[in-house]
Amino acid sequence: MSSIMPTEVPRRSQLSRRHIELGAEFERSGYLLLVKDYGSQTEATQAQILGLVDLSTLPRTGFKGAGAPDWAATQALNLPQQPNTCTVQTDGSLVAKLSHQELLILSDLNGKSASIERLNNTPVDPQTYSLPRADSHCWLAITGSQAAEMFSKICAVDLRSHKFANGEIAQTSVAKANSIVIRNDQGSTHCFYILTDVSSAEFLWDCLLDAMVEYDGRPVGVAALRALV
Amino acid sequence: MKGQQIQKRLPLPYGSLIDRNTEVSFSFERKSYQGFAGDSIASALAANQQWLLSRSFKYHRPRGALTMAGQDANTMVQLPSNPNALADRELISDNLAIMAQNYSGSLNNDRGAVMGLFSRFLPVGFYYKAFFKPRGMWEKWAPIIRKKAGLGVINQQLEPQYYDKQYRFFDVVVVGAGPAGMQAALSAAVEGCEVLLVDENPILGGSLNYARFDAEGIRGQQLREKLIQKIEANSNITSMTDAVCNAWFADNWLPIIRGKRLYKVRAKQTILCTGALEQQAVFRNNDLPGVMMSSAAQRLIHLYGIRPGNAAVIVTGNNDGYANALDLLDAGVDVKAIVDLREQPKPDAIVFAAAARGIPVKTGYAVYEAQKSRNHLSAVEIRKVVSQGICADRGEVIPCDLLCMAVGYTPTYQLVCQAGGQLSYDDNSAMFTLINCPDAMQVAGSVNSHWNLDACLAEASRAAIIATNALGLTSTAIPEEIAKEPVSPNHPWPIFAHPSGKEFVDYDEDLTIADIINATRDGYEHIQLVKRYSTCGMGPSQGRHSALAAARLVAAATNRTVAQTGVTTARPPFAPEHLGHSAGRSFYPARRSNMHYRHLEAGAQMLQAGAWYRPAFYGAADGTVDNSETCINNEVNNVRNNVGLVDVSTLGGIEVRGPDAGEFLNRFYTFGFVKQPVGKARYALLTNEAGVVIDDGVACRFSDEHYYVTATTGGVDRVYQNMLKWNAQWRLDIDIANVTSAYCGVNIAGPKAREVLAKLCTDVDLSPSAFPYMGVREGTVAGIPARLIRVGFVGELGYEIHVPQHCGEALWDALMDAGQEQGIKPFGIEAQRILRLEKGHIIIGQDTDAMSNPMEVQMGWAVSRKKPFFVGGRTLTELENKPQLRSLVGFVVNDLNAPIPKESHLILDGEQMTGRVTSCNYSPTLQKPIGLAYVTPENTPAGSTFIIKSSGGVRVTAEVVKLPFYDPDTLRQEL
Repeated sequence: MSSIMPTEVPRRSQLSRRHIELGAEFERSGYLLLVKDYGSQTEATQAQILGLVDLSTLPRTGFKGAGAPDWAATQALNLPQQPNTCTVQTDGSLVAKLSHQELLILSDLNGKSASIERLNNTPVDPQTYSLPRADSHCWLAITGSQAAEMFSKICAVDLRSHKFANGEIAQTSVAKANSIVIRNDQGSTHCFYILTDVSSAEFLWDCLLDAMVEYDGRPVGVAALRALV
Repeated sequence: MKGQQIQKRLPLPYGSLIDRNTEVSFSFERKSYQGFAGDSIASALAANQQWLLSRSFKYHRPRGALTMAGQDANTMVQLPSNPNALADRELISDNLAIMAQNYSGSLNNDRGAVMGLFSRFLPVGFYYKAFFKPRGMWEKWAPIIRKKAGLGVINQQLEPQYYDKQYRFFDVVVVGAGPAGMQAALSAAVEGCEVLLVDENPILGGSLNYARFDAEGIRGQQLREKLIQKIEANSNITSMTDAVCNAWFADNWLPIIRGKRLYKVRAKQTILCTGALEQQAVFRNNDLPGVMMSSAAQRLIHLYGIRPGNAAVIVTGNNDGYANALDLLDAGVDVKAIVDLREQPKPDAIVFAAAARGIPVKTGYAVYEAQKSRNHLSAVEIRKVVSQGICADRGEVIPCDLLCMAVGYTPTYQLVCQAGGQLSYDDNSAMFTLINCPDAMQVAGSVNSHWNLDACLAEASRAAIIATNALGLTSTAIPEEIAKEPVSPNHPWPIFAHPSGKEFVDYDEDLTIADIINATRDGYEHIQLVKRYSTCGMGPSQGRHSALAAARLVAAATNRTVAQTGVTTARPPFAPEHLGHSAGRSFYPARRSNMHYRHLEAGAQMLQAGAWYRPAFYGAADGTVDNSETCINNEVNNVRNNVGLVDVSTLGGIEVRGPDAGEFLNRFYTFGFVKQPVGKARYALLTNEAGVVIDDGVACRFSDEHYYVTATTGGVDRVYQNMLKWNAQWRLDIDIANVTSAYCGVNIAGPKAREVLAKLCTDVDLSPSAFPYMGVREGTVAGIPARLIRVGFVGELGYEIHVPQHCGEALWDALMDAGQEQGIKPFGIEAQRILRLEKGHIIIGQDTDAMSNPMEVQMGWAVSRKKPFFVGGRTLTELENKPQLRSLVGFVVNDLNAPIPKESHLILDGEQMTGRVTSCNYSPTLQKPIGLAYVTPENTPAGSTFIIKSSGGVRVTAEVVKLPFYDPDTLRQEL
């Protein structure tokens, strides 16, 4: 059993029970609790093949509205030019442009990105509205060379690397759950973030594990994901 | 044993599909057999001289392999897992127990075969004519017919199998990996296309694997090896064998089935090289085991290394029959004769080779009748053809145990026709041809009536150029269309009626020449009507071998051309598929709140409300259900007397923000919201344009420009969509966000609720004066940012606490811990239903229906008459000017011995139905059954009584009472 348990913090992933069942070792930084690993020595290698990571407790936020683009432009962000693309910021956070008037901002993998907290605490312009993305969606990552192949079992969008470039976003259905799929490679390893309605997190987790079996995919901790960079 | 098996096979290189090193044991009709890995059931049985595989549908005639390609119903057998498996498609496996189907007694001696003797009394349309008169007879016949109908038996004990689906994306999909398909794939791939080459057979090559294209019999194999070598070297080509492209849907959406997976393939361009299906000659007893397509015999020889017979006759209308004869000779079969329907075969090297090898040829002859011995072909009678379909009076009998039929082909047209292509008939070539293919589809090879290998390859390259040009990868000049060969392989009339009948046009349905002609004589002249009246083409093989012959017969019988007669519609699927392929894996996105496991740990019995899991009630802590009624009543009593906690995370939550937020809600809901004070909640009733109540919730105003609106669990998506829809018209300056999942919510309710909450919430003044009923506040609970709403759905002092979703469990833990001293207990939605009923609150969807307006449900108070507009307002004004037809009232049942009415029980006035119950429960608080019901206006005054037809038809007297049942002065919720 992990020396740190999810009950130690108020923010608990919807998937906590799944992680505990899989023998997760948690890591804690303040109120932020993540699965460090599942006790395997080969998780970094696993992540290069096919790994599933729960990042749901990491910070994130969102803004939308007619004023959001102009407001965001004043917030020292490197904004994507086109909808359904994303850019990685210097602090490791990621800004995803979901439409001309909607942005999603994800923290770095350590939850240290300053931009999330700064944005949440900055007054917004008229017609700019914050969105509770940290809680409306779970955040999973699928990594590895088999990721796109695995996705083809549950998602109708062609996510193969030569068809879906790094930095592209698909707002689509994954296993019948409305999802935002973002390709954000970690180093040379393919990586897709999936953000889905948080109440369906366990459903999606189970679907992904089921789809991954064929490719020897397994859950890995965030340490394996960080090791890819 | 292996040696014995090998002796049953032709030597290498015959038998390209079998692995002679791996022997497989299986049983058929409880008798053990051995075959090799790679053998189909039919081939393994054939190697063991078991040619009889099944009994026909109607007459129980003995049937054996016809195509050896999985294209006919003759080979259907029963497997432990499923009926109607195609024995020439399904592979043997160790210990597989196979049974034949549709016989009575034994397969060899089927008592059902007696039906054949009565065939003259079972004419086409017999069912329609015989079983419906006199009146009432159908009920007598139906059980008998149903017992006879169907072939195999479904294994109802079978555990569900794992099927799934996968998406695939290609520039070009080539269906059919014969010579044309392989060439088309190569030609497209070299231009940079991502190509999928799909074939239903285990190996690439199509007819190159078994057919003979030259006198020496070497060209096919050489070409196959050359093409496969190139395909394997080309990384742009994905080959998928053992895979059936089972349909064509709009935009080149191709469902491809392999194993237990359905591939959902998207192709930008499709090239169909699906080949052609060999057709049977129609003569008496053309269905006997031992009578097969010439291509079937070649498949047995080349694919499985099996000699298909000892003494063979070939009936042919083309030179392929001669090639077939050469193959048979090479395989050691004694070829007794080639019976050529033509007066003069087209001379070519193959014909000369057959002559050189001394094969007797009877030109201008037909097989008039096949004769049987012990359920197998024993001889054929051949006769001189004197005119179309007419033979001389006498002929000669040739003993044989194999008759190969090579009289023509039809294109495998199904996918083309599903895509909008059409099947035409060329009277000169006596052949169906394809026309009007859609733009993103090309056809090449024998499916497009090319029979020469070079022509097939050239046409395949041409099709690939058209496809790559369309994709923008090339701008190559498109070569001239490849000319069709002047000589057709199709004989125009290989149909020979016999006075004793049994010349089968449709094997699946046991339909003979007379059946088809009689259908037209009964007035069903259109080919579609012939199909439905006679069932021709409606069997498992879907007209693959009956369409051409039936069209010819109908054309002749109705004095039209075959082109005018046409064929029936080819609909998906192309081949039978398991229901599992369509179902695939189950994706039902179940939703759980962050507190889900706390409910389970507390012994909750969960139920699904839409996609959400919700606790119905809490049983014993170990999960065993105590007495549900006791549990629920205890939960109710605890809320009334102490404090309870219920998970309301499933309730909808919508943020409406912006300068026009109040105006928007004013237009959207029935109440007034513009003047709603900040820090207050207001009941929000939603009607549609017809004035029907469709949802409710509360609108909480947290600032001038910020409302947080709750909605019902099942209704929030519709409410959100309606909000977006209406504001697309109104264009008010607001933003609407569905944040249902972003918040977990609990309702802490009961007289001690404040006491418990105060332990955890110190930054909000909870006193009744500072935070009154229907107040809303923002603060923290157990350090968690929270929205607090003082509402009273259950009729007690209560607070809804909404916190970020990921903090839901922590909030639950904190409240349960803090409330121990006050006796806090969780309660489920069953207790909540009783509590709200005691308080007289309705549940939208349960106490309302598709006609309910606010006045009917006594919610006229929630409708503002002062504002100029709201959705449904105009209709409600009209309705208010009309007499009300029904009203929702509260009732009690004073007879405690009467059965408690249930939802939807009827209210009767004599025998006249005048209303219905919408909610009813035993009230632990009032200690009697209480409920809500729609009654007529005269029954609405308190003290009125009405009769409910309760369970078992028992009439129960109910008394109307004023709502609410409990705490009429609302003192408790405003504590």
